[in-house]
Amino acid sequence: MNKFFLFLFLVFLLLFFSQKIFALNMESPLYKIQYGEIGIAGGKKSSDSYQLSDTLGQLAAGEFQSNGYIIKAGFQYLYSIIPFRFSISDTRIDLGTLLPNTPSTASTTLTVSFGASGQYLVTAIEEGKLRTLNEQNFIPDTQCDGGINTCNETQAKIWTSNNAYGFGYNMNGQDIPTDFINTNYYRPFPDRNNNEDPAIVMSSTNVGKNRQSTMTFKVNISSIQPAGSYQTVINFVATPSY
Amino acid sequence: MQNYNSKFKIIKSLFVFLIFNFLFLTFNLNQANAQQISLAISPPLLEVFIKPGKSILVAYKVQNFGDPVILQTKIKSFEPQDNLGNVKIKEKLEGTIRFSLDNSDIQLEKPFFLKTKDSQQLLLRIRVPEGAPEGDYYYTLLVETEPPPTKEGQISGKVKATIGSNILVTVTQSGKIDIKGKVVLFDTLFGKKINLWGKKIKFFDSGEKIPVVLILENKGKNLLKPQGEIILQGNFGEKAKYEILPQNILSQSQRLLLATPSASVDCDNKNLKICQKPFSILLSGFFLGKYKLSSTIILGEEAPYLFASTSFFAFPFKLSFGVFICVILVIFIIKRFSKNEE
Repeated sequence: MNKFFLFLFLVFLLLFFSQKIFALNMESPLYKIQYGEIGIAGGKKSSDSYQLSDTLGQLAAGEFQSNGYIIKAGFQYLYSIIPFRFSISDTRIDLGTLLPNTPSTASTTLTVSFGASGQYLVTAIEEGKLRTLNEQNFIPDTQCDGGINTCNETQAKIWTSNNAYGFGYNMNGQDIPTDFINTNYYRPFPDRNNNEDPAIVMSSTNVGKNRQSTMTFKVNISSIQPAGSYQTVINFVATPSY
Repeated sequence: MQNYNSKFKIIKSLFVFLIFNFLFLTFNLNQANAQQISLAISPPLLEVFIKPGKSILVAYKVQNFGDPVILQTKIKSFEPQDNLGNVKIKEKLEGTIRFSLDNSDIQLEKPFFLKTKDSQQLLLRIRVPEGAPEGDYYYTLLVETEPPPTKEGQISGKVKATIGSNILVTVTQSGKIDIKGKVVLFDTLFGKKINLWGKKIKFFDSGEKIPVVLILENKGKNLLKPQGEIILQGNFGEKAKYEILPQNILSQSQRLLLATPSASVDCDNKNLKICQKPFSILLSGFFLGKYKLSSTIILGEEAPYLFASTSFFAFPFKLSFGVFICVILVIFIIKRFSKNEE
C-alpha cells in the first residue's frame, strides 16, 4: 500500500514539475499557449565586416546592407522574440432561433499578444447586413434605444428596450473604445456594402501580453420580420503599428 | 459451448461499442463546432530602402495556434489612421511596387491549408521596376481566414480573421532621403491653467502623475525615425532623462512619440482621466516648485536637431489643504476643551 502511495506521489511530482519546464504552454477555451523564456540570442551582434541587430524568432530579423537595398525587420528597439498574434475564441456566432421582441446574444473573445510592448489596432466590419440566403430579407443594423440613445458606427448608446430592433455589438474588457461604458451599450457594425470604414474595436499604445476583450453580438426582431436563416460575415483585422 | 459464449460476448460488446460511436458522432457533431482562430505573424514590421530595378526576398512566418484553417495572403496599401502609429488599410494595392510569393505551392490571393500548431513560411518577393518614381510606399501583408461554412436554419454571424504585417518601402536612386520634421506639440496634459501677465502657467498637485505629449510632424517625402531625449529639470537642480523611442513617422504625417522609462497606469479602469488621452511619457514623483521640460530630437545624420521646451509648477495643494483642515480641527477641539474646563 505504501509503495502504491509512493508511486502516486512520484507521478504527481513528475507531472507537477514537468509543466514548469515546458517552453510553450497553450491556452484557449480548449487549451493555453504561453511562450516560455527562450530569448537567449536576441540583441546586437557585430564583427569587422558586418553589424547586425536582430531578434531571435523572426525569420528575416536583422539589418543588413547590400548593393542597392537595406532591409530592417521587426521593431529594433524592442528586441522582442514574440510575433504579433491575434486570436478569436469562436468563429461561429450562433444567435439561435429568434422570437419577436426577445433579444438574443452571443459572444466571442478577442485576444492580442505582442510581447512586452508595441501598438496595435483591431477593426471590425460586417460584409453586408444579416440577410436570408436568398438575400430578399434582412435584419437592419441597430440604432439602439433611439432618441437620445441613438447609436451609430462610432458611438455606442444604451440598447435595453425590447421594442428596439436590429443587430449590433457591445465590447467589454481591455483596450476597448471608451464609449462602451457598460454591457448595455451597443453600436451597429459598419457595413462594407455601404462603403463604411471599419470600426476600431480594440487598440492600445502600449500592449502587453494577452490583451483580451469580449464582443457580444445582439439581435432583436419585430413580429413582422420574415422567418428564415439570416447570415453575415464579420471581418476582424488585427494590425500592429508601424 | 463455453468457447461459443465468449465469442458471442466479444461480438456483442463490439456491436454495442460501434453503435455508441455511431450515435455519438452522428448526434453530437452539431454541438462540438466552436472553432477557434489563433494566428501569429513575424516579422510584424518590415522596412526596405531600395533602388529602382532591384528586387528582394523576405521570409515571413505564419503560425496557427488555433484549429485548422484555410488561409489566403493579400497585399494592400495603407495610410496612417491617426497619430498613434495605427494603419488604415486601403481597398486597393497602390503604387508601382510588385509583390509575389516565391513559394512553389502558395500564391498571393490563393487559399492554402494550415494545420493546428503548424507554421508556414511565406517567401515574399518585393520588386521595384526600373524607372519607378522615388518616394515612400506603404503596404500591409494580410493573412486572412476563410469564414466557416453556412448552416441552414440559424441566425448567425460568421467570423473572418485577418492578421497583418506592415511593409514600408522607400524607393531611392541615390540613397539620399528627404528629411524634414517639425515639433507640433510638446506640453503637459491636464493640470490647472492660469494666465499671468499674458503667460499661460500650468499647475499640478505635487503627488499627481503628469502626462507629457510630444507630437512630431514629418514634412518630408520619406519616413523618418527620430531619436533623442526628454529632460526634466527641477529648480533644485534635480534632473531626469527619458529616451525617445525610435518609431517611424510616415511621410506627410504626424506621430505621438513615446519615451521611456515612463510611469505606468492601469488604464483598464476607464474612468481614469489620465487614460482618456494618449501621452508620450508619464512623470511620477513628488514635485515641488518650477520644472522645465525640454526635448532634443535627432532626425538623422545630416539633419538638424529639433528642440522644444515647456514648463510647469507643482505645489502640494492637497497636502496643504489636509494640513489646514487638521489645524482648524485641532484649534477647534482645543478651544472647545478649554471652554469646558473654564
